[in-house]
Amino acid sequence: MTFNAAALLLLIGGLALIGWLAGRARSLMLAGRAGSKLHSRPQYHGWYVALWLFAPAAIFLAVWSAVSPALITNSVLSSDAAQSLPAFGFERGAILSDARSVAQGAQAAVRLPAAAPLVRPYADATHFYAWIGIAAMLALALAGGLYAFTRIKPDFRARTRVEKIVMGLLLLASLVAILTTFGIVLSLLFESIRFFRLVSPAELLFGTEWAPTSGAPQPDTFGGIPLFWGTVLIGAIIAMIVAIPIGMMTAVYLTQYAAPRVRRWVKPLLEILAGVPTVVYGYFAALTVAPALREFAVMLGIPNASTESALAAGIVMGVMIIPFVSSMADDSINAVPQAMRDGSLALGATPNETIRQVLIPAALPGVMGGILLAVSRAIGETMIVVMAAGLSANLTANPFASVTTVTAQIVKLLTGDQEFDSAKTLAAFALGLVLFIVTLLLNIVALRIVKKYREAYE
Amino acid sequence: MNRETAPTDWKGATMQKRIAGRYAAERRFKLFGLGAVLLSGFFLAFLLFVMVGNGLRGFTYTNVEVPIDFKAMPLTVDASRLGDADADQVIANAGLADIVAFAADEALGPDGSKMISENAWKEVRTAIKDDPELLKGKTTFHLPASSEVDIAAKEGAKGAIGAKVDALEKDGKLSTGLHTPFFRNADATDPAVAGIWGALKGSLLTIFIAFLIAFPTGVLAALYLEEYAPKNRWTDLIEVSINNLAAVPSIIFGLLALAVFINWFGICQASPLVGGLTLALMTMPVIVIASRNAIKAVPPSIRDAALGVGASPVQVVFHHVLPLALPGILTGTIIGMARALGETAPLLLVGMRAFIGDVPSGICSPATVLPMQIFLWSDEVDRGFVEKTSAAIIVLLIVLLSMNALAIYLRNKFEKRW
Repeated sequence: MTFNAAALLLLIGGLALIGWLAGRARSLMLAGRAGSKLHSRPQYHGWYVALWLFAPAAIFLAVWSAVSPALITNSVLSSDAAQSLPAFGFERGAILSDARSVAQGAQAAVRLPAAAPLVRPYADATHFYAWIGIAAMLALALAGGLYAFTRIKPDFRARTRVEKIVMGLLLLASLVAILTTFGIVLSLLFESIRFFRLVSPAELLFGTEWAPTSGAPQPDTFGGIPLFWGTVLIGAIIAMIVAIPIGMMTAVYLTQYAAPRVRRWVKPLLEILAGVPTVVYGYFAALTVAPALREFAVMLGIPNASTESALAAGIVMGVMIIPFVSSMADDSINAVPQAMRDGSLALGATPNETIRQVLIPAALPGVMGGILLAVSRAIGETMIVVMAAGLSANLTANPFASVTTVTAQIVKLLTGDQEFDSAKTLAAFALGLVLFIVTLLLNIVALRIVKKYREAYE
Repeated sequence: MNRETAPTDWKGATMQKRIAGRYAAERRFKLFGLGAVLLSGFFLAFLLFVMVGNGLRGFTYTNVEVPIDFKAMPLTVDASRLGDADADQVIANAGLADIVAFAADEALGPDGSKMISENAWKEVRTAIKDDPELLKGKTTFHLPASSEVDIAAKEGAKGAIGAKVDALEKDGKLSTGLHTPFFRNADATDPAVAGIWGALKGSLLTIFIAFLIAFPTGVLAALYLEEYAPKNRWTDLIEVSINNLAAVPSIIFGLLALAVFINWFGICQASPLVGGLTLALMTMPVIVIASRNAIKAVPPSIRDAALGVGASPVQVVFHHVLPLALPGILTGTIIGMARALGETAPLLLVGMRAFIGDVPSGICSPATVLPMQIFLWSDEVDRGFVEKTSAAIIVLLIVLLSMNALAIYLRNKFEKRW
């Protein structure tokens, strides 16, 4: 018998349904008996009872499932069998979790012999706290339900009450976004500060050597410049060289030249490019594009061409970004007033002159905003660079060489087996902070440009 | 300042030449545009062509015919225990693997047991569990070939292995069939038995959790912001943070999840639960933005009419606005969910890259997701995994494209113009 939160949630959900029916029936009965009119429709009385029944119990359930594992562990540790445990560290944790999974039925027998005497106390404590939790939850549900039930009167303003709760719920939902933002900022800041106690921010931002895995003889070095350069080379230079011309010309052709029928079919087809998962692009880059580029480089006579190259990752990332650039350009070109286009054509300019000298200059701020958003997306992209660009931190301008990026290093630093307090792990959060700040700035600037420009013609 | 200029000679050779030049530039420009469209189309076609070309073979597998006579080599297991939960263990302990290897040696020659997959006996085990009667007689099994043989049979290899495969083919002992373990199993180190069902189930559980959290939260937040929120500094802050979250790189959400869900709350690591929570935070802003647009599209006259007959503001929204906006909201949600389904980077950080050999049993058990399975297989050295990776990509793309098609269908079917 363990504490199964999902089943208990279903249980109180069922109780709430009964409460709903009972509340509704009682309000109907009262209305009928007194011959008076109800203030609220019967279902609102039902909802009132159901909410009082459900909400306190559900909140308790959430708190209890967070707290009870610690309580169980505490009571096990205070039992006689736990006195022989090793003091601290990894072994102690392993023994405890072994005993826990046997006690909860997740595995059939203990793997570590030292865990065997702990199974019984664990099972007992789990039962004990599970029963306490269930009893308290049911008591809360019944108390809430009864309280609400006794308040039902014909003139009770059930609808107003229920609506107030609903409004609270709406407000709470919209606060989740703020909470997430705060969560991101705080967790990044907190871990980064721990990192900056070990390594100075100046080294991360301006150091030119990135070698966090150099091993014991040499100390780790966390110079971020090679990573930042690799990120810029792939995301802001190579990817944009591919994406901007193709995306822009696609947008121009589809808005200005293509027949509406063609546009209706081609546009969603190109949007598929943006919907392909990045891991697929990464595989495509590593399997097909990178070897082809390597052969091309060898043909050109470039020595030490690598199968993991900045070029392969950048080109594929550019392809991924094409629909993004083209739909932003599409929007801004469409937002240019028809009168400007007509005026230019009426003066005798050809469509191409109109586009190049009237439409694109007029749409330029929007297009720029779109490009900035695309850059922000490209430098935050992870899987393509992890799979195709390599992990060696080279400070090179040679696009055929292997470079690494901020996101690829975050993945590398956090997927090894290492303790959570080492500088290596914390470095990932510091890199995350830099990435977050840069993309945030790019987004803010881009959104501001786009917004300002949109207002100009309206 | 009246300066006389000669009238332009429109018919003259210079002017004609200039006009011809301008028209040529026009044609060139148009061709460039067409070229850009075709180039993007070519990229898409090439990508799909490479994946499908590699992947279709991953759905089939070469099987080798191996007769096993259980009368000659009895497998001593108690038939009554075959229905138990530990039947797998019982059969394994009875030495089925050796019997199968021996039978293969006998049927295919001295190296026969190397021609079939190391895990081929597990297929026999499944067959025995389905029909214990097999243990009483002689049956011819079609067992998965080893990865080398499979590749040699599909591509026609040279050398010793090629000769053996040719010999087998001549004897009619090879057959190619739909690779059922691929749809039934979880990850394995042997491509002959590695499958995507574990990852697919993990993906479904993860997306289900993400939907369960992101959908209600996103819709309620959108309703609040669009219908009730006063215009002040707080709601501005909410609005800005939602717009920013929609553009934050996905890997940042992975860092958040690692720091908060795993290190702070200690939610079961590498499970669909923690993956779903991460993806929920990521998709919520997308759902909010899509829902707001859908709600904005509902004309104010409907609200006014409802208010006019005495509905309360909450009733207006829940009885009138929300039902009308729902198709649009669902479209946005499906697109957001499709994006979450293809996401890998944040899940890498919460530990979902571990090798998981079992199909996940619940939301708290270790699991992997389909894009992660693709990533893990892409790193495998064994050549047999190349086609498995592409086959998994085909499955993922089919799921994603059908979700997007559903979204487009919903939009077209329920789109209303007021």
